[in-house]
Amino acid sequence: MSSGSSPELPKAEKGIIDAIGKLGEKAKLIYAKPNRIKFSVQRDDLVEVARFIRDELHFDHATNVTGTDFPKDGQLEITYHLGSHDGGEELRRIILAISCRIPSNDPKLPTLVNEYPSVLYHERETAEMIGCVFEGHPNLGRLLLPEDWTDIPPMLKAFRLPGRLEGE
Amino acid sequence: MAEITTFEQFVKRILKIIFWLLIILPMVALPIFYLFYVLPVEFTCNFSLLNCSEHINWSLALYMFDPSKLNPFDPNSYISQMGLGANSMLFKLTTFPGFTFVALLSSMVIWWERKLLAKMQYRIGPLYAGRLEGIFQSFADLFKLLFKEIVVPERADRLFFIAAPFAMMALAGALVGIIPIGPSTYIATSPYSLLIVIAIIGFFPIVALMAGWASNNKFSFIGAMRALYQMISYEIPLVISILGVVVLAGSLDLFQIVSAQSRIWYILPMILGAIVFYITSMAEVERIPFDLPDADSEIVAGWQTEFTSMVFGVIQLAVYVKLYALSALFTILFLGGWSGPPAVPGVVWFLIKTLIVETIFIIPRGAFPRVRIDQLIKFGWVWLIVLAFINFFVAIALKAFFGL
Amino acid sequence: MSLPTQSSGLFTEQVSEDKLVVSIGPQHPGAGHFRFTIRVEGDTITECIPDPGYVHRGGEKQTEYRTYIQSIPMIERSSLLDVTNITLPYCMAAEELMGIQVPPRAQYLRMIMSENQRIISHLYWLGIQGIFLGHSTMFMWPLGDRDIFIDLGQMIGGARITYSYCVPGGVRNDMPPNFKDRAMKVFEYFESRLKDYERIFFRSPLFEKRTRGVGVLSRSDAISLGVAGQVLRASGVKSDTRIDEPYCFYKDISFEVPVYDDGDTWARCMVHLEEMRQSMSIIRQCLEKMPQGQIKVKLSPQQRAQAGEAYCRTEAARGAMAFHIISDGSTKPYRTKWSVPSFRNLIALPKLLVGSHVADMPAIYWSLDYWPVEADR
Repeated sequence: MSSGSSPELPKAEKGIIDAIGKLGEKAKLIYAKPNRIKFSVQRDDLVEVARFIRDELHFDHATNVTGTDFPKDGQLEITYHLGSHDGGEELRRIILAISCRIPSNDPKLPTLVNEYPSVLYHERETAEMIGCVFEGHPNLGRLLLPEDWTDIPPMLKAFRLPGRLEGE
Repeated sequence: MAEITTFEQFVKRILKIIFWLLIILPMVALPIFYLFYVLPVEFTCNFSLLNCSEHINWSLALYMFDPSKLNPFDPNSYISQMGLGANSMLFKLTTFPGFTFVALLSSMVIWWERKLLAKMQYRIGPLYAGRLEGIFQSFADLFKLLFKEIVVPERADRLFFIAAPFAMMALAGALVGIIPIGPSTYIATSPYSLLIVIAIIGFFPIVALMAGWASNNKFSFIGAMRALYQMISYEIPLVISILGVVVLAGSLDLFQIVSAQSRIWYILPMILGAIVFYITSMAEVERIPFDLPDADSEIVAGWQTEFTSMVFGVIQLAVYVKLYALSALFTILFLGGWSGPPAVPGVVWFLIKTLIVETIFIIPRGAFPRVRIDQLIKFGWVWLIVLAFINFFVAIALKAFFGL
Repeated sequence: MSLPTQSSGLFTEQVSEDKLVVSIGPQHPGAGHFRFTIRVEGDTITECIPDPGYVHRGGEKQTEYRTYIQSIPMIERSSLLDVTNITLPYCMAAEELMGIQVPPRAQYLRMIMSENQRIISHLYWLGIQGIFLGHSTMFMWPLGDRDIFIDLGQMIGGARITYSYCVPGGVRNDMPPNFKDRAMKVFEYFESRLKDYERIFFRSPLFEKRTRGVGVLSRSDAISLGVAGQVLRASGVKSDTRIDEPYCFYKDISFEVPVYDDGDTWARCMVHLEEMRQSMSIIRQCLEKMPQGQIKVKLSPQQRAQAGEAYCRTEAARGAMAFHIISDGSTKPYRTKWSVPSFRNLIALPKLLVGSHVADMPAIYWSLDYWPVEADR
């Protein structure tokens, strides 16, 4: 994946990168392009970084939570996409992603419901689709899958759709 | 049919057979007996032209080819002499001002409503049944409903579940029975007929509650409770709005109320009362601004949710018979009943006025959204009761100072 | 009547007699393919548990088995009212990963189709909102007028509903030469119809009584719950991806974003109404500015994307729609995540329903413009 900031980044993005740079090792920049910035966070620092982004950078809601399985690395990646409504003209166009990689054999990470109430259903969906546990989430029951689903979480790469051939 | 294993089932089966025999006998056997035995005997004995024992069927055919002998309006015809003519109670109940007439009229009103709403909504409406603009659509629906299975929910209270629609129909029929449609065309009459009408109107929500409770369905139950809530909000203004007319006419007899309007129709002095009566009747027949008990988007079909087949059809028929009855009541109370230029019989005037009133009842369905139950109660208690009382005082003032 | 025990999810609970637990859906005429359980005390809803997932088809998983272009018909099935708007962010994300510049004419055609689709979706919404408030005329009129916009879309897309119009690299069909005249006629007709709608429905006192102050979502709640689209704009947040982060050529188009501060059902209805007007104005401007040129960049059916991620968002009919595609450099996406507005708005449903009347339930529910198929994916 491309890393580092490209030279023609607008000012607002640069400001965000600089602000998060204050956190030091806790947040690592993965890529930055106009309107999109992605940071990688360790799971122990996730809540702290999220709090910082909410309070200092004024990203006030989450638009999406993606859970991705990387079986080659033995890791799951949970990506929160955060947006801003009240942060001013410049921030409204930016989607800030913070991702957290957790090992597949210990899929646990703290929930962000207290920081971002809007992730309530997104986390619940991610939990059932990828099989990770958001510790502290009020309800991680089945949301989209049938209540009697007994297979492994379907978005894991190990789960193959029945009737479909192997990929390339 | 289940296999009989116990004595109880055996008794049940016997009782069931007796029950069906009791139903079928008067419906099938008696008419056959009557047609093929009684009538020819009467006929041949009176005219003694033919030998009754040998020519029973032939005489019957002859009898049927002579329409004058079948004319129910001729008091001397055989039908009239046997108590089945146009003046007999049976004929009145079943045919002319009674059930058949009202059912046919209601089916036509259903068609008219669908056609009118379709025009309001830039649609075509019923088109195919009956060649002429789908005029037989109601009958097509009737036959469709007749061929459906009657489903009674497992946990429903069977007796009350089946009884409720028929109680509804019986009440609507009773309402029709007490409302005259012409100076001499009526089923029953009483010096307190208006009081009887109000008493019958008060029964309908109880039947709705019975149906909703017996269905053992939550939507039915909510709908039934709403019917009761609705009743307490419209019933009192309805009665008070009628009081003005009673004061002016000085009578509770519907005939006298009509004859008291020979000078001026009460809709002119009692315009407030007419408006209140119109709104409250709309709530009574559960039409669209006030169709809370069977609000289809909120509680499926309210207290009618679990009804299927012709049982549902009976409810629908009862609702439209009720609509007819309330329109007829409006005509009698405010529009002078059957009074009009004598070129046309009074019954025709009455029907014309009633159909116009029914049309006015129908139109809001295309123009208004539904109100909420708390808004309806507030509207009923704050506005309608006040208006009805103002109307009542106006009536008293008119009576006292102008002697209207 | 003793109330039977209620089954909600996998647990059973005993309910007392003064409370009622009513399951709305999935066969309730108001709910569509969606169920929520409400607990009713008197006429007030005290609890609401949404239960989506009845139409979950695993769309995200299925995209991993298809090439980029093969996924499009499958994606648009999940939002039949809004097919252009749900394929547009997907195509934009795929193009970003493939490094393709879309020709300007194709971008204008995409704008025309997505605005047309917005009107179609809003008219459907309006019809159902009408019948949910018990207004049968308002059900028939918009659904009848919706057909002329479907005809308009058919002139460009070729099909009536599912035209798979946007593909990575451009659009599939060009506009016929008589489209402009036809569109102008349709807009002229529809503008007069909108006035009729206002007269019979939006300015009706009964409509105001039923919707004013019903289901109020405050501005701070709307932001923190992360709702999208009309729900957000009705709560006083001026948020529209078309102006926040202009895609296609929305930069060159002047239009207004209707915003109301009330946050109630009435405001959400009015936002829908205004947006139909704005969409027509946008299509008019697009037709004026339409450049000549290619409509598509030829791509191989086995087109490979660069490894990386793309997160593209657009403003769909129901709100901000975003696609997150992770690519490993093959012909198929490694992972797609659809951030759909209906799913984001679902969180507002329990919030709005608790404390409101049972009779307001359909009006509030549908004012969120919740489309279960889109939310379940």
